[in-house]
Amino acid sequence: MSTFIQTLIVGLRLGSIYALVALGYTMVYGIIRLINFAHGDFLMVGGYTMIFTIPVTLALGLPAWSSVVFAILICAVVGVSTELVAYRPIRKRGTSMTALITAIAVSLLLENLAQAIPAIGPNPVVASQFFSTGGFSVSGVTMEWTTVYTIVISAVVMVVLYQFTQKTKLGRAMRCVSEDKEASILMGINVNNTIVLTFAIGSGLSAVAALMYLAQYPKVYTTMGALLGLKAFVAAVLGGIGVIPGAMLGGLIIGLVESFTTSYVSSSMADTFVFLILIVVLILKPAGILGKNVGEKV
Amino acid sequence: MNKKLACLLLAACMLVSLAACGSGASTTSAAPEASGDAGAATGEEITIGTISPNTGSLAAYGAAVTTAVDLAVEQINAAGGINGSQVKIVNADDQFDPTECLNAFNSLVSQGIGLILGSVTSGCTSAITDAANEEQVCLLTPSATADSITTADDYVFRACYADSFQGAIAAAYAKQSGYTEVGVVYCAADTYSKGLYDSFNAACEKYGVTVKAVESTASLDVQDYTNQFASMVKAGVQFVYAPYYYDVIGPYIVTQARAAGYKGIIMGADGYDTTPDYVVDGADLSVFNDVYYTNHYDPSDTSETVQAFVKAYEAKFGSTPNAISALAYDAVYMYKQAIETAGSVDPTAVRDALADTTAVYTGVTGTFSLDSTGTPAKGASIISFTSDGTKVTTKFVDVVKELPAA
Repeated sequence: MSTFIQTLIVGLRLGSIYALVALGYTMVYGIIRLINFAHGDFLMVGGYTMIFTIPVTLALGLPAWSSVVFAILICAVVGVSTELVAYRPIRKRGTSMTALITAIAVSLLLENLAQAIPAIGPNPVVASQFFSTGGFSVSGVTMEWTTVYTIVISAVVMVVLYQFTQKTKLGRAMRCVSEDKEASILMGINVNNTIVLTFAIGSGLSAVAALMYLAQYPKVYTTMGALLGLKAFVAAVLGGIGVIPGAMLGGLIIGLVESFTTSYVSSSMADTFVFLILIVVLILKPAGILGKNVGEKV
Repeated sequence: MNKKLACLLLAACMLVSLAACGSGASTTSAAPEASGDAGAATGEEITIGTISPNTGSLAAYGAAVTTAVDLAVEQINAAGGINGSQVKIVNADDQFDPTECLNAFNSLVSQGIGLILGSVTSGCTSAITDAANEEQVCLLTPSATADSITTADDYVFRACYADSFQGAIAAAYAKQSGYTEVGVVYCAADTYSKGLYDSFNAACEKYGVTVKAVESTASLDVQDYTNQFASMVKAGVQFVYAPYYYDVIGPYIVTQARAAGYKGIIMGADGYDTTPDYVVDGADLSVFNDVYYTNHYDPSDTSETVQAFVKAYEAKFGSTPNAISALAYDAVYMYKQAIETAGSVDPTAVRDALADTTAVYTGVTGTFSLDSTGTPAKGASIISFTSDGTKVTTKFVDVVKELPAA
């Protein structure tokens, strides 16, 4: 029983990080039909921002985790500038294929640019402790505070974001643009501003994901977003890309599958099962678990 | 200002060596007596290529190699060079990536370099051993411990012991400390980690220690080891062998293992070196107690050779040299001795000198000879981490000269 609970906890905390990152992929895809491959690297940007701003927050007498505020700002700025400098001009002139390649280029650019900055360099950096150490015990399994915070904060962020898209004017605008761009313009929605807002929120979320990730796995390096981004992208596709609850579901499924495979099947086959499940689900339900099967708009 | 001075000095050195060449003196075989001449360059420069992971996740090892090689070369050149020739180093970065390592190797060979020192990791070095034999280029790795790296009659040698020895030392230590049931967590996709697991496993069988639980990870990029250590707890073992590198041990493994309820001993190998620089500030670091590892040398060793090296390194770079530095330093001096014996820098002649199993090398990591495959026979230090909760330090435990009988 204790193995089961332990595995469940590990799965949930991995899954909630995947879900947070997957939200960014799904929001951007939903609104401009672009797979923003650079999203995983925004997480790296957030990670380094926190590493550099922790001394500032500590000097101000604030806890280490409050450096996430700076990270959210920087990530939002990087996300919005990526949209303005790279994606928007390409969207106007190129095809969806050019946009996709640009996204991959931005991803590699960010990784290599970070490496070239002397203060960052190629060495991994270990982050400091973000939350208080220790925890409590549930039927023989130690539950660390960090794990509790990771799961709770992710859940809160996801619920707030969902409510935002459902209830607020801006959120409704985002959903409109995602449904039909031309009709949204006719309805008086500023499409470009809405897209910029989506990028700002999506990138800001990656900073929150970076905090959760580093609290649990405190190593920052320039390519940290690559594999994590890929897993989160898979989570988004699995849940149904473009659908916000789908990203949450996909993230949690991937985290849990990884953890349970490690515990009960074979510890080195976690990724094998994650991608196997992806293939099976896509064969049975090509639009993802919660995705709606709509024909491609021409 | 310092840079300018250095430039001027370098320029002066070049002029002197050019002048030496221009004087028409025979440079083909520098007489051994010439090495006594204080600093006078009588021959052409000897170029040694080095390959190290200067960037990437193991960049700390790259810096360890380049600094120690700098120190050794500076000392050798100040004492008159090798056979009267000054030594020059050309460094190439392998980024801890086997493909990049092969590229680095090819780039050095294309510059006409026949003596190469590197690379640091087993994974990278195993990617270039075949090429070294094909190109007939001498390859001396300071620290690649995988058994498969060196074989008899080849161009590949090393300055460190092999994993079959290192893994067995850990198994012997488990037995000696009274653990009859042990567990292993290792990376199935990494040459180094897998090699150590294999040799640890074989030695456990020999010493009558039962390997009760084995868990693995599919890559070195895995961040969560909680489930692996939870199954160690379930198996009831009190000694776990976890051969990983410092960038995983420091931030991930030790903390997660303790959080998963594992209270016993965690033992590793030389990859644990420099872990204290990669721990989480502000976390409860007392988890690092009861972590042991085998290493090539211990900087607190009071022997004269070790202290001379440690003091010179600290004076030049302001930090204590790790084991990789010590090995790289020894490797440069091994090349020096082999070139002097061979009387030339021809790769095949140097190879033959290194292949001589009667040659004795005295270095920071011990006094040793190479066996027929090109691997030194020397002892291992067992070192532990100790922590008061806020910082991690190392403590020398024991030195094992040779494996105990079964």
